[in-house]
This record gives sequence, structure tokens and C-alpha cells, in this order.
Amino acid sequence: MRDLSLFCAGFRVGFRALRGGIAVALLFSATSVLVPESSRATAAADDTISIGVVLPTTGREGKPGQFQKEGIELAIKKINEAGGVFVKDKGKKLLLKEVFYDDGSDPQKSASLAERAMSSDHVTAVVGGYSTQLGQAESVMADRYQTPWIATGAGATAIFSQGYQYAFGALSPVEVLGATTVEFISKLVDQGKLKRGLRVAMAVENTDHGVDYVGGVKEWIAKHPGYFQLVFSENFELGSTDFSGLLQKVKASKADIYLADAHLQDYITMHRQYLQSGMRHQVVSYGARGPESDARKALGAGTDYVFAGIWWSQRLPYPQVAKFIADYKQFTGREPDSWYAATSHEAIRALAAAIEKAGTTNHAAVRNALHSVELKNSLLPGGVLKFGVNGQAGYPFVIVQNKPGDKVDIVYPKESATGEPIAPRP
Amino acid sequence: MKTGTPASGIRFSISSVLPWLLLVALIFLPSAGLGTNLIRLFFLTLVWIVTSVAWNLVGGFAGQVSFGFAVFYGVGAYTGALLMNQGVSPYAAMAGAAAMASIASLIVGAPTFRLRGPYFVIATIGVNEAVRVLMSNLAITGGASGLRLREHGPYRQVEHYYTALGAAAIAIAISAVIARSRFGLALRAIRQDEDAAADVGVNAYVCKLYVHAIAAALTGMAGAIFARYAAYINPQGVFAFNTSISILLMPVIGGIGTIWGPVLGGVVFGAIEEQLVANFPNIHLLLYGGLLMLIVLVEPDGLVGLFHRIVRRRGSDSRSKGIDKVLWGRSRLEGREL
Amino acid sequence: MMTAADFLNLLIAALMLAGIYGAMSVGMTVIYGVMKIVNLAHAGFMMMGAYFAYELFQRFNIDPLFGAFLALPVFFLFGMAIHWLLVRRLPKSDQPTLSSLLLMFGFWLVLQNVAYLTWGNTDMSILTPHTLSVINLGPITISTLRLVVFAAAVVSMAILQLILNRSWFGKSVRALIQNPYAAQITGVDDQKISRMAFGLGTAFAGFAGALLSMLYSFNPDFGRPFLVRSFVIIVLGGLESVPGVAFGALVLAVVETFSILAVPAGYQPAISFALLVVVLLLFPRGLAGLMQKKWRAA
Repeated sequence: MRDLSLFCAGFRVGFRALRGGIAVALLFSATSVLVPESSRATAAADDTISIGVVLPTTGREGKPGQFQKEGIELAIKKINEAGGVFVKDKGKKLLLKEVFYDDGSDPQKSASLAERAMSSDHVTAVVGGYSTQLGQAESVMADRYQTPWIATGAGATAIFSQGYQYAFGALSPVEVLGATTVEFISKLVDQGKLKRGLRVAMAVENTDHGVDYVGGVKEWIAKHPGYFQLVFSENFELGSTDFSGLLQKVKASKADIYLADAHLQDYITMHRQYLQSGMRHQVVSYGARGPESDARKALGAGTDYVFAGIWWSQRLPYPQVAKFIADYKQFTGREPDSWYAATSHEAIRALAAAIEKAGTTNHAAVRNALHSVELKNSLLPGGVLKFGVNGQAGYPFVIVQNKPGDKVDIVYPKESATGEPIAPRP
Repeated sequence: MKTGTPASGIRFSISSVLPWLLLVALIFLPSAGLGTNLIRLFFLTLVWIVTSVAWNLVGGFAGQVSFGFAVFYGVGAYTGALLMNQGVSPYAAMAGAAAMASIASLIVGAPTFRLRGPYFVIATIGVNEAVRVLMSNLAITGGASGLRLREHGPYRQVEHYYTALGAAAIAIAISAVIARSRFGLALRAIRQDEDAAADVGVNAYVCKLYVHAIAAALTGMAGAIFARYAAYINPQGVFAFNTSISILLMPVIGGIGTIWGPVLGGVVFGAIEEQLVANFPNIHLLLYGGLLMLIVLVEPDGLVGLFHRIVRRRGSDSRSKGIDKVLWGRSRLEGREL
Repeated sequence: MMTAADFLNLLIAALMLAGIYGAMSVGMTVIYGVMKIVNLAHAGFMMMGAYFAYELFQRFNIDPLFGAFLALPVFFLFGMAIHWLLVRRLPKSDQPTLSSLLLMFGFWLVLQNVAYLTWGNTDMSILTPHTLSVINLGPITISTLRLVVFAAAVVSMAILQLILNRSWFGKSVRALIQNPYAAQITGVDDQKISRMAFGLGTAFAGFAGALLSMLYSFNPDFGRPFLVRSFVIIVLGGLESVPGVAFGALVLAVVETFSILAVPAGYQPAISFALLVVVLLLFPRGLAGLMQKKWRAA
């Protein structure tokens, strides 16, 4: 009996369900009306140049993403205050306009929003992609929509070895970071501060960023035998909460030098556990993380003597850097934190220079101009920003060291140094 | 008790034509001069609909709530991507992805379907996380660095759109066929009371495995379609727990256990999600969470339930509620045991 | 390569971790036991607990350890309010329901967003003079803070167990866990007890969050990895008893910590879930299911 009623009811549900189709049709038509209204698909006005910006300001990369956004906005503000960018084929100066999307640190969303900006916001270029994974996801869209794209926070070479025509990167390759870091330590060996043949342990994030970092270090060590001995190297999952097992292994490897490559959050978590398990090495570095104020807030004196290889430091002795810091302070009420705001700031300046050079906002022309543009008086180390054949910038890194009393010194290269490196760790 | 009244006969003809009208409308949509961005939104929505309808087969019809559908989505995406990189034609790769996801569903389902209640739910969460971590470390798939698709030939968005549309049509058709078949009836019996179903001769374990495999195949296909479009996938994206959550949310929003509820949920989710994220980056979680709580507490049958309630209030549909009671107990969501 | 001292260090690390795991899972078990709700908002409550300790520390310079104990009554009331406002409107069932799962998930999202709006997405952390201090016993190093957190966790779990065993409230809770219908017939007010149990579970989540804030930095997304581990632990422990949780926490902590010897660190997060799946297959009622009769009453 029960069985029968079930069976009949089954038909009923079928009918009623079909009626749901009405609702679907209504909704589809409703959305097609609603969507173009709310999306910012307005054609670019003649007197502005739209620039898409896709960065995470929420989620686990939210903090650095926010800094990068501020760098971009500051650059746009300064350019606009000076009247904008002169575009020859329009015969006048045009203002820059930012079209911002927050991808919430989600790679899929990041790609989707980059696509959205390129396909419907009439942007001249898209800038963004903080952290390697998000940059990887976005990079696909540049060539698909033939729109210049400049990565402000993704330095893995894998992005730029795909033969893309429209992808550019404002960060020097991460391999160089690894190599620069070991080379710097080798200088300490030369100076007699450290012994030869020290044992190196490495723990890196399991992304291309980490792979490139280890690659750079390994290659340097192989080319310069006698300096170091790599005794331990493992990957870890980004966003882990507990590194005690990994750190025990590092400890057991009896290394003298500990090189990690981590994101900000992982750096803080790992270094806290590092200190809590009573570990110490003669030299400690967390790749491109180290002088961030968040880390200092979280660990206090615990971050002293940590080395970091970074793309920019506010201690760089260039006049334009002092100017940038003053402007940034006025703009945000804070000092720039580590390198994040500077690379994105410079990406916008390079883009503006390229548009001016191209004399048009045509995508291909801007792309060509980006390949040949050379941004003099850049904030970045070496003072020049230009993009290589594969689209990636290539300027030297600076090595900084945290010193007691909230001090950060550039310790390498020598010509920019603001202090002596302290090693081994006292 | 075939529907005998003339009124319901007319309604039957209207409602049976509507899905076809909708399909035709969607086929001609790209030629209506829609922008790239809109086509992209429609594409993503259609992909979401496939996963949503697939989840509903297991979660809605058979009542087996899974938090692990990202596994099949991800397996499909990776299989499809790897095959396409080997030079396999995209459609063959999608079929391969569906097959691989089915196999994965058997590996996951064979042990977990022996579990009941919260254990099944928790096991699916566990499987999801374990697979994601595994994929982050496997060298052949690129690990956490992700995988790039190298498809030759120009990129044609419309083709992607039609692929997704075809997949969605297949998914809805499968869902409708199952809903009206004896198999679907068996699934409902399992949902109602697994022991009672066994008493009337339903092999619950095998039925669950079958429907899980079908759902996984659809989800895997959706994953491959998405991978081809995105051209870059990584474990943090396709295998994310959030993907599983999204796949589960859509049928709930639309109304689980129905044919069109998950579709509606997919439409709402696909269309609104990006608008929310793009326009209200600061409060989109709040809106989601609020919407979810509202649905659970106020309208457990989702949008389809709301729609029926409005129709009912107009007095034209008094019988369906009684049938709902027979079929689902109090309602489809309310008081449902896991 | 692994010396005895290394081994001992690992063992101690595992034990400390077990304490943390136990404290964070016990609240979930109480709620599950009484109401059969798999509380996904647990992670949100832990996150709020961490910010609670942070605010007390920033504004009044209250040590987070003390702050954790202050969190107990505050979150107890908070939990009761949530129960009154939302949870009691759920349809009753003696099995976990989809609606309860989704309701708590929705609430977690809301909590996260509220935290974003209040504190931003910055990683916060609490730095006290003890944060980085360690105790050295020869080759063995123990983080002072981990030891303190461990002690606090163990003490609180013992007190909870005492409450459940000795008080009238505890007896009612146990009655509800064992047989909700019979319990109501004998005069247990299940609404009231549910409300208090939800408060208690929330209190422990807040407490655990405040304890964790001493060890980790946190942001509004804090708690997600702990949530899934809590699942594993309560399943290992058979879902409904405090000793079961302690046992599950210990098993998970030991397996996770020692797995590092055999498995590359990148795979470590998968260990807990793999363990979960294996255990579910071998013992469908949880490890503690083997001793269910004995612990169910506890």
C-alpha cells in the first residue's frame, strides 16, 4: 500500500518539478537584466585610462594584498595629480582610473575576476596577482584577452616560461632570491664570520615559489663547492598550523643554517614554534619574509637577527625612496611594511611610462612598449625597472636583517648597506 | 491515480514545454550579442548547475549528504587537463574525466557507504581533505604549483559555453529520468528509511554506489569543462573544501530532492556569488551565512518550496503539501537525518 | 639519526599537542552528545575566544591564561543566547540533521564576517613575556606556554568530567545522551538542559580559542584546521564522552607528531584525515566504540 502511494506521488513530484522550470526561466531573464547593470561594464570614458586591479584584500593573503593595493593607488594618485598620462593619439593627458576586485585569496576567483576586468571593463591593462598561486591562475587570461597583465607579487619563473606574450612581472625571479641569499652568506664565510662547510637545512612552501627558492640555493651550492652542505630539505603545506614535527626534523638534522621560504602567516607561526622549541641556528632566513611589522608584533625580539631577501626595502638610500615613504605615510598614515607596496607602485609607473611611450591605449602597442620601457629613478634596488624577454623583471635583491630595537638594516649588497650583518646569531 | 483533472492536464503541457523553451533560449543566447563577461557568467553558472544537480542525486534523492564532492570535481578537472595535455580531444577528455571520477566515487563510496549517520558526513570531509593534501604533494600533477593546460588552437568562448550547456542539459535529463524511474523510487525509499527499504527488497548499498557513481561522473565532467576553460588548475582551487561547500549550498538554496531546485540554486549561486564578491567584498560572508540560516529556519524547501508556497497561497495547489508529507515527512530539509 | 633525546622531545610535543586538541574538541562533544548537532560554528566560537583574550590583553593587560578562564562564563552565556535565538528553532531529532549542520555553518560564516568587520583581516597575536620562554631539561626543551596550556586544558577537562559525573545537570546530560525519551519521561527538561549544554560547549570552544591565542597567531578564518581535527578526535573518541575525547586527542596527536618520521612534512595535514577514514572503516563506531559501554555513561 505504502509502496503504491509512493509510486503515484513520484509522478506528481515530476509534474510539480517541471513547473519549477518557469521559475528558472524567470530568474535567468532577471539575471541577464540585472547583471550588466551592476557590473561595471561602462565603456571607458574618453578622458580616462582604466586599469584593472585584482588583488586579495581578504582571506589569508589579505594583508600583503592590501599593501599592494595601497601602492597601486598611491601611484595612480601621484600620476593623476601631475595631470595624468599623455597619450599621443588622443592628443592630451588622460587620467588613470582603477577598477578594483578583491579575489579573497582564491585562485579560481582571481582568474575569473581578471577575466572579468579584461573582458568587460575596457581596461588598458590588469595589474595584480599577489602570491604565486593567484598570479599563476591570472596569468592565463593575459594572452587569452590580449591584454597586458603585470604581476605585482608573483615571482615564480613558471609563470613567465609559458611563452605568454602579454604577461609581465614586477618581481625578480625567486631563484635569484635563493641564490642571492646563499651568496650573501658565503660572503660572511669569506669574511671569517662563519666557518666553511656549514650544514644547511631548508623547509619551503610546496608551491613554485618554494621550488624555485630551493632550486636557486641548490644551484649556487653546486657551483661553489666547499662553502655549504645541504643536509635537509622538505616542503610544507601553506597555511599549516603546526610545524613542530617538521621543526623536530630540522633540529635532528643538526644544521648550522636554517633557510625557510614561507608566506607571512606561515613565517609567524613557524618562527614562533621554532623559538618555542628552543632552536637556534647561526643564520636564519625565511626567504622573502622577515621585517614585517606583524611578525614583530607577534614575536617581539624573537625576530631579531632574522635575514630576509626582499625586492625592496625602505632603507634603500635613494632620494626617490625617501619621497615614496613620505607620500605613502601621508596616503595611508603608516610606514610601508616590507616590500609589498613598492613593487606594485612601480608596476603602475612602468605601465604609465609604457602607455606614454606607445602613444595609445591599444593593447598590443602597450605590450610592445612594456617590453622596451626602462623605468629610470625606480624605487627598486638598482634604481631601474625593465622587463626581460620573458616579461619578468630582473633587478637585484637586497638582504635585510632585523636588529634589536625594531631596527632593520640592509646588509647586502654592500653599496646599499646601512649596517653590518650580525652573524652568527649572538 | 493518474492526473485526471483537465486543469492539471493543461498545466502538464505548459510545464513540459517550458524546459525546452528554456533550452532553445539558451542555445540562441550567444547570438543575442551578449558580452564576453556575461557569457562567462552563464558558463560558470551552467558548470555550477551540473555539480548542483549531481549532488542532489546523492544528497537529495538518496539522502546521503556528502561534504566531499570537490574530490570528484577535482579528479575530473585533473584527469581532463592531463588528457588534454596529452593531445586527447577535449570531449574525449571530458568523457575520460567522468569515467575517472566514477572510479574515484567507487573507491570513496565502497567503504563510506557502509557507514551511516554523521559518520558518513564526517568521512566525506576527511576524504576531501586527504585528497587535497595528497594532490598538493604529488609531483606528476604539479603539486601545489598547479597544472597548466596546453590546448592548441584558438580560444573560443562560445564553444565552452555550449559544452557547459550540453552538460547541464544532460545532468538535468538524467536527474529527471532517475526521479521518475523505479531506481529513483528505490533511492527515495533509502532516504526515508534504509532498513525498511531493505525489507521491500532494495539493495541500499548497491543503489547508493550506483547513484554516487552517476553523480561523480557528472561532477567530474563539470570539473573537466571548468579546467579547460580556466586553463590553470591547482589543488587549493578545485579540491578546496569551499568547493564542496558551494556544491552543497546550491541545492539547499534551490530546494533539495527536486529536479529544478538544484538548477535554481545553481542559477542563484552562480549569478549572485560573483556580484556579491565583486560588489560587497566586506559583507558577502555575512549575506551567505544569513541566507543559509534563513533558508534553514524559514523555508527549508528552498526557493522551490517558497515558489510552491506562493502558488499554494493562491489556492491552486492544495494537494502537493499532502504529497510532500507522504514523501518526505515534514519537509525535504527540515528534520532530515543525515 | 633519531636519538633518545629527539624521541623524548617528540613524545613531549605529542603530549602537549594532545592537551590542546582535547580542550578544543571537548565542547563539540558535549553539544553533539546532547543535541546530536555537529557544530560547524565551533571554529567560529574558537576564533571569537581568541579575539576575546586579545581584547582583554590589549585593553586591560589581562594575561591570556586568565582571559581564557574569563572566557568560560562569557561564552557560556553567549552560547545560551545562540541556542535561545537559533538552535532551539531547529526541528528535534535524535539523529544529526542536515538543517542543524547548515544552520551552524551559516552562523560560522556570519561570525567570520563580523570578525572581519571588527578586527580586519590582520593576523593578530598576543605577545607576553612568557610567549617565547622555554624550559631546558638537559637535551629536552619544553615551551613554557605549551606546558601551561596543557595544564589548563587537562584541569578544565577534569572539572568538566566532574561536573558531568557529580552534578544534577551532569546527570541530566548523561540521561539525555543515553536515552532522550526516557530522560524526558523522568522529568528532565530537555530544552533547559540543551540550552545549558550548548552554553557549556560554546564556553569550552571560547576557552580553547583563548588558550590557542597564546600559541598561534589568528585571524577571522582561525579555527578551520582545528575544526576538522576536532571532528577526527570526537569520532575517534566515539562522539559523546569526555574520556573518549581525551583518548582521541592523544591518538591523533601521537600519530601526527610521530608520522613526521615516516612521511614528508607536506603530507602531515593529511595524516589526521587518513587516520579518520581508516578508523571509520575498521571500527565504524569509533575507536572508543570498542569500549562504548563503559564510556557512554561517563
